[in-house]
Amino acid sequence: MVGYTIRRFLALIPLLFAVVTITFFLMHAVQGGPFDSDRPLTENTRARLEEKYNLDGSLGEQYVYYLRNLGRGDLGISFSNDRPVRDIIADRFPVSLHLGLYAFVFALSMGLVLGVVAALHQNGRWDYATVFISTVGAALPPFILAPFLVWGFALKLDWFNVLSSDYGPISVLDWSWVWHDLTHMRQIVLPTVALGFLPAAFIARVTRASMLDVLRQDYIRTARSKGLDHFRVVMRHAIRNALIPVLTIAGPIFAGLITGSFIIERAFSIPGLGRSFIESVVNRDYGVIMGTTVFFAVIISVMNLVVDLAYAIVDPRIRL
Amino acid sequence: MSTIAQPFDFTQQQVFTKQRGLWSQAFMRLRQNRLAVISGAILGFILLLSILAEAVPAVRRYDYDENDYSVIDQKPSMDHFMGTDNLGRDMWSRLLQGTLFSLKIGFLAEAVVVTLGISFGMLAALGGKKTDQVVVWITDMAYAFPDLLMIILFRQVLFGRDWPIIGAGDPQVPGFSGVLLATVLAISFVSWVTVCRLVRGQILSLKESDYVMAARCVGASQWRIVRSHMLPNTLSTVIVAVTFGIPTRIFAEAALGFIGLSVPAPFASLGTLVNDGYAKIYTNNLLVIWPCIMIAVLMLCFTFLGDGLRDALDPRTRK
Repeated sequence: MVGYTIRRFLALIPLLFAVVTITFFLMHAVQGGPFDSDRPLTENTRARLEEKYNLDGSLGEQYVYYLRNLGRGDLGISFSNDRPVRDIIADRFPVSLHLGLYAFVFALSMGLVLGVVAALHQNGRWDYATVFISTVGAALPPFILAPFLVWGFALKLDWFNVLSSDYGPISVLDWSWVWHDLTHMRQIVLPTVALGFLPAAFIARVTRASMLDVLRQDYIRTARSKGLDHFRVVMRHAIRNALIPVLTIAGPIFAGLITGSFIIERAFSIPGLGRSFIESVVNRDYGVIMGTTVFFAVIISVMNLVVDLAYAIVDPRIRL
Repeated sequence: MSTIAQPFDFTQQQVFTKQRGLWSQAFMRLRQNRLAVISGAILGFILLLSILAEAVPAVRRYDYDENDYSVIDQKPSMDHFMGTDNLGRDMWSRLLQGTLFSLKIGFLAEAVVVTLGISFGMLAALGGKKTDQVVVWITDMAYAFPDLLMIILFRQVLFGRDWPIIGAGDPQVPGFSGVLLATVLAISFVSWVTVCRLVRGQILSLKESDYVMAARCVGASQWRIVRSHMLPNTLSTVIVAVTFGIPTRIFAEAALGFIGLSVPAPFASLGTLVNDGYAKIYTNNLLVIWPCIMIAVLMLCFTFLGDGLRDALDPRTRK
C-alpha cells in the first residue's frame, strides 16, 4: 500500500511535466502575442516589455526559463496586471473552491438521499420522483439551469438576489466566512444549486443503482433473518457497501466542480479562477494560462490518486 | 379434428418463424421502447426542420441576420413564431440556424471522436505491450487536463489562422465554416480518450473470449478475427457511447458559446443564443428560454434514445 502510494506519486511527476510542456507549446501557438492590441506599441516599448517578461528569447529558451522558475515554485507574472501569478491564484482560487465546495456538498447530500430513498422504495412514488429528477437533471447543464433559476426565483419570486453573488474567499485560518455566508444566503443559494444540480442527478442515479444491487445480495437477507431491524440493515450493511461506486465518481466530480465552475462564475459574476483563465486565454496572458492549467492539473491528478487509494481502503477486495 | 402428433412436427413450425439477426432483434426491442421511439422521432423532426430551414426560405421565413428595427423585442405572434430579439431579428429562424449549427458540431465532433477512439483503442489492445503502455499513458495524461479549459485553449490555437479548410476564412467545405471545424477539432482532441478506453477494454476482454479462441483454432487470420468477430461485438458499446456522446459535444459547444467563444455574430449557435439572451433576461426573458428549451429537449431525447439503444443492443439487460 505504502509502496503503491509512493509509486503513484512519483508517476505524477512525468505526467505533470507532460502537462506543462503541452500547455506551454499550445499556448504559444495561439495566434497573436500578449502585447498585440488595437493601438500598436512602438518598437522600443515592445522590446522593453518583452525583455521585462523574458519573452525576447527563442521559444526553447523561454521554455527552459519557465521550467527553471517552476522548479523553484515561481509561476511567473501576469502580463495584464503585472501581478505574480501565484498571488492571482491565491486570490481567485479560494472563491472557486468556496463555490465548488458548496455545490459538492449540495450534490452529494441531495444525490445520496434521493438515491437511497428511491432504492428503498423501488417503483414507489419517491423512486419515480428520483428517476425523473435524475433524468431531467442530466439534461440541464449549469448554463441552462442558471437562466431558469434566475428568471424564476430571482426575478419572478424575488427570493434570491443575483446582482451581487457574494462568494468571499474561503479559508481554514479565518472562519469569518461562515458567518458571512449564513447572513448572505440570498446570494449564495442559486449559484450552488445551478452548479450542483447536474452532479446531484448523476450521484442520485449511481447511488440508486448500486443500492438496488446491494439490497438484492445474500448478506442483506442474512442480516434480516438474524432479526436486525430495518434501520440497522440499511445503515450498517447496505449503505456502506453501496457507497463504494459513489466514492469513485465523487472524486472526479469534486475536481470537476472546483475546476469547471467558470460557466457559473460568469453567469453570476463571481470572481473565481475559471473566469480569470478565460480572460487570460483571450488576452494571451501566458503566465496565468500556464499557472491555472498546471494548478488544475495537479488538483485533478491528486484527486484521482486519492480516489484510487480510498477505493482500496474501503473495499478490502482490492489489493494494491 | 384431431391430429396425431408426428415426429419432427416442430420443424414445420420453425419454418414459419422468421429468422432474425442481431440487428433486426435489436431494432425490434428498440421499437418496443416507447420513450426511445418518441425521442428518436422528435430528434428526427428537429433535424429535418433545421435542415429545411437552412434550405427552404419558406420554412425559416426570415433570415437569421435580417434586422427589422420596427419589430424589436416582440412577443410571439403569427408573424414571428418565437418573437424577435433586441435587434429585430426573428427568433424562429435564429433558433433553427443555431440548432443546425449545434447539431452539426455534435455529429461531426462525435464522428471524429469515435474514429480516433476506435483506432487508438484497437491499436492499444492489439498492438502489443509497448504500444498499449504508450496509449494508456496518453489517455491517463488527457484525464489530468481540465476538459473545458483545454477545449478553450485548443479552440484559440486552431481559430484565426489561414490554414486550409479550417481557420477563419470563408467556408471551403460548403455548410461547414472554418470556425465550426475548429470547434469540432478542439472538442474531439480532448474527448476521444473516453471512447479509446472503452474500446480498448472491450477488445481486451474479447481477446480472451472462447469464440475468438475458437476462431483462432480453426485458423482464421488476425485481420479476419478483428473484422468479423471483435469489431461487431464492440459496435453496440460504441453506438451507445455515440448516442450519449453527441449531447456531450453539443453541451461543450454551448459552454463555449456561453462564454462568448463560439461563432461570431450574426451567426448563432445554441450556446451563443443562451449567452445573448441571458444578458437580456431582465427585459425579454423569451430570448433565453427558447434556446434553453431546445438544448434541454435535445439532451433529453439523446439520453432516452441512448438508454433505449443500450437496452436493445445488450441482450444481457433484456428483461
